[in-house]
Amino acid sequence: MALKGLDIFKLTPKTNCKDCGNPTCMAFAMKVASGALPIEKCPHMSAEALSTLSEATAPPMKSYKVGEHALGGETVLSRHEKTLVSKTLYAVQVCDCMDEAKQDEVLKNIPAVDYERIGERMYVEMVYVNHSPAKSAADYAGLVGKAKALGRPMVLSCTDVEAMKAGVEAAAGCDIIVNGATPDNYADMSAVAAGAKALLGVRADSIEQLHEVVEKLEAAGNKNLILDVGDASIKDAYANAVQIRRAALKDGDRTFGYPSIVNVDNLAKGDAHLEAALLSLFTCKYGSIVVCSEMTYAKALPLYGLRQNIFTDPQKPMKVEPGIYPINGADENSPCCLTVDFALTYFLVSGELERSKVPVNLLITDASGMSVLTAWAAGKFSSSSIKKFFDEFDVANKIKSRALIIPGKVAVMKGEIQDKLPDWSVIVGTSEAVQLVKYLRDEEWKKSYVEKAAPAAGETAPAEAAPAPKKVIPAPPIVVTGPYKIDGKEVTYKGHDPASRQFVTIGERIHCISPAIRKAMDSYDEAPILKRAAEQIAAGATYLDVNIGPAESNGPELMQWAVQLLQQNFNNVPLALDTANQKAIEAGIKVYNRTNGKPIVNSADAGSRISNIDLAAANDAIVIALCSADGIAKDNEERMMHCHNMLERGLHLGMESDDLWFDPLFLVIKGMQDKQMDVLSAIRAFSEEGLKSTGGLSNNSNGMPKHIRPIMDAAMVGMAMTMGLTSAIVNPCDQRLMETIKSCDIIKNNNLYADSYLEI
Amino acid sequence: MPFAKKPQVFSAKINELTLGAGDKAVTLGGQNVFNLYAFDAPMANSPKIGIDVSDDPEQPSEGLREFYAGCDTLAQRAQKAAALEHVDFVCIRFDLADPNGANKSIEDCVADAKAVAEAVDKPIVVAGCKNAEKDADLFAKVSEALQGKNILVLSAKEENYKGIAAGAGLAYGQKVGAESAVDINLAKQLNVLITQMGVGGQNIAMNIGSAAAGYGFEYVVSTLERVKAAALSQNDNTLQMPIITPVGVETWGVKESTAPESENPGWGSAEERGIDMEVETAAACLAYGSDAVILKHPASIETVARLTAALM
Ligand code: SF4
Repeated sequence: MALKGLDIFKLTPKTNCKDCGNPTCMAFAMKVASGALPIEKCPHMSAEALSTLSEATAPPMKSYKVGEHALGGETVLSRHEKTLVSKTLYAVQVCDCMDEAKQDEVLKNIPAVDYERIGERMYVEMVYVNHSPAKSAADYAGLVGKAKALGRPMVLSCTDVEAMKAGVEAAAGCDIIVNGATPDNYADMSAVAAGAKALLGVRADSIEQLHEVVEKLEAAGNKNLILDVGDASIKDAYANAVQIRRAALKDGDRTFGYPSIVNVDNLAKGDAHLEAALLSLFTCKYGSIVVCSEMTYAKALPLYGLRQNIFTDPQKPMKVEPGIYPINGADENSPCCLTVDFALTYFLVSGELERSKVPVNLLITDASGMSVLTAWAAGKFSSSSIKKFFDEFDVANKIKSRALIIPGKVAVMKGEIQDKLPDWSVIVGTSEAVQLVKYLRDEEWKKSYVEKAAPAAGETAPAEAAPAPKKVIPAPPIVVTGPYKIDGKEVTYKGHDPASRQFVTIGERIHCISPAIRKAMDSYDEAPILKRAAEQIAAGATYLDVNIGPAESNGPELMQWAVQLLQQNFNNVPLALDTANQKAIEAGIKVYNRTNGKPIVNSADAGSRISNIDLAAANDAIVIALCSADGIAKDNEERMMHCHNMLERGLHLGMESDDLWFDPLFLVIKGMQDKQMDVLSAIRAFSEEGLKSTGGLSNNSNGMPKHIRPIMDAAMVGMAMTMGLTSAIVNPCDQRLMETIKSCDIIKNNNLYADSYLEI
Repeated sequence: MPFAKKPQVFSAKINELTLGAGDKAVTLGGQNVFNLYAFDAPMANSPKIGIDVSDDPEQPSEGLREFYAGCDTLAQRAQKAAALEHVDFVCIRFDLADPNGANKSIEDCVADAKAVAEAVDKPIVVAGCKNAEKDADLFAKVSEALQGKNILVLSAKEENYKGIAAGAGLAYGQKVGAESAVDINLAKQLNVLITQMGVGGQNIAMNIGSAAAGYGFEYVVSTLERVKAAALSQNDNTLQMPIITPVGVETWGVKESTAPESENPGWGSAEERGIDMEVETAAACLAYGSDAVILKHPASIETVARLTAALM
């Protein structure tokens, strides 16, 4: 595996002398790791460090391309550790020992399986052309010539050097693998492969002997190899496939760091079902190219599905494909139920719809695999995304019914959706999936159904049928209640010094995901908002986060109202402005009072939301910078790469590095337990570079029982503060967490101890 | 440097769990290596194969209809199934007990189970109708009727583990299956809860969830791998129960197995597709850690038995 930036950093002199043109050794190391700079740019690296580097940077397994297909390059044994990068390729075997009719039949059947499954073409990628010692070199060349006509890369399997030469010549112009090196012929066969600029396949009678031949080939300078696991027995082939891969990736034996070939045709010996079983077994562990006698749909349908499942990113959210899913035999006249593509939501909703036995078209929209409310709050499930879905999938023409039932949790979107889809009757459905059965069986939805005049084909809806656009309620004047009291005690914001080293807590409780806040935001009802603000301030929050949801129609107005309401009632409490609507953030900053600190823009990332850095820079704000682009970063190298990209962009726009607060993205322990230490190391890396950090810390305990969460969150904040975390987005009303933070600030010497330190 | 094998043999091992009584009893688990890695050290017990027999006479394929032709009762079908050479145990499934379906009474199910126990000399696994409440009741009553047969009930879930652990495990000494849906944290939690009720860890088998190849099978893969890694390399004794995976019930429900040839002429015989779907899914489950698989088709059973025999 390529050396990680942090490992390279350890080898640098760590003097930050800037002779390499980078501000720090860390920044330099990250660039070396990503290949942007050669290590030689640092004039101060020691000789030992350089040699450690060149040895360590060699990947544990070579990667190649044959035609358009990737081979090798794996770094892990199990898919849950990291994405497996090179999917198993399948080949069909044809042999010059077959009679001509049989050869032609085998070749003719190869293109038979060719279909698409979730965006991927499924077919036999390669042809495996075998030479029998009983046949002549000319016979072999003839067969290779015929196989070449299929236009797919070929694996030439032949241990006779002369016959191989004839085969290679006949294959001219086609991508090939020369699979024929043995302990006896390896030198000559290697020359043939080198001449053809092809990978050399190596075979031997035992795994020890195979290792020996590879060492000799490497010593002679050939490192373009692929290892044939042999066909003596199923047990040996499997043992070899596993041990070769394990030696390379787990035990660091580079001699075995090559892809593999497994010939299951030779192992199954004519038993088609056993061949299917072996195709599956060696797709799991660890065949790079698996060769069979014939690819039928019976074998292919499960096999390619299995491969597609195994070779996926283990961190991708559980997502289903967007589309129209007819349930209970629904047709074009059945009503539509709309929801998001989060797999658990899909399974829950489709299960309940099935139980109802009512025919319904389930519409699944692309919401980046988030649940309904999360997607809505992040702007991924909005009237625009729904409109886009309707256009992309041509729903209006595929379905005649005009009943569109939306999740009850996003009732606030009804008006906006109705505006964008005027021909449809938008109906607010149930809040929970379990209620759907009764809702549909008793036809409750029909009560809210409004008949729309169906436009004639080719015409748009007549003007009078278009509904009035949603009325935007103007923001009411700001109400200042006078000193806010909880249990008779006045709540005042105690102020905040931006230069203080004390941990900054950002209270997360004013968030549109909460139904009470959502309702309050929708109707400019100040009471619930002030209540939550007061509770958080009383509990010691430094900043308050204000999430107004996507607020597509009235974002700027709503944000200005919220900012002024909170600041005027609570001594200019500093705020984090949190919405996908950039205009709303800008408007909020315009009325923001900076007495207790700059506003925070929540949040930018290294992908589609990178422009929030520009927004922060233009408005002299702090920005929370998520170290991710599309999906969770796969490792710390990627996290740090995103970090540096955003840092550079911010600095370039004139920001202070202190105003970029990097968020490593705290991950759920239930699900990503093995990645927690990575997150903590990222925080340490930020801190070593003098950067500030923050994040939604309590995400770690998502899905845990209520009584566990504060315990886990407290432990997490303690460990993260050790690593240098400077802020977190938290629930300040969690007393255990807040007490832990205050205690850690004492231990870190950020605050002078007094017996009453918890109370101040 | 010459290659030196580095067998991955753990000091921990998977629990041994014996089903049935007498000379036809079978033992699952026991290995101190990853599944099928017999080249690291001999597997204490080879993977086991069960056959899935429903009380619903409806069969998903022509071949299965032929196989069970002439069998009118669950007991007759179970007897026919048990007679297959490579079948280690019979899993009878009470699909018709579902209160949202045929709602067969528990008394009738118990009578069926008794008849099966008389007709079959191989170990018996009892699967329910997936309705948590009814299953708890059903398992308790069947456990009582089949006392001494050392059956496994499949399975207790988060919603009903208390009733099943008490009614099947504690009261009648039967083995308890613990079922979770590709969620390793829940799999562990359920084992902890069931052992806290007093059922010994040695008397529990896990069903960590199942899917047909291509249908979110990656979650099955990762859960199997992570459970085995925790059990063996971290010696986590709350996850050392053998894993039993119902494969046939998943694979015979997907369109690749059931769509008639007329729908997609290029696809060829539905029977062959169904068998390969079952065989390939089972092979993958075994590769990643299942100690036993439950299949439906005699040809699949024959094939998977050949595969595991060749690997031992
Ligand atoms: S990497 Fe080398 S040149 Fe660059 S700052 Fe560090 S010591 Fe100086």
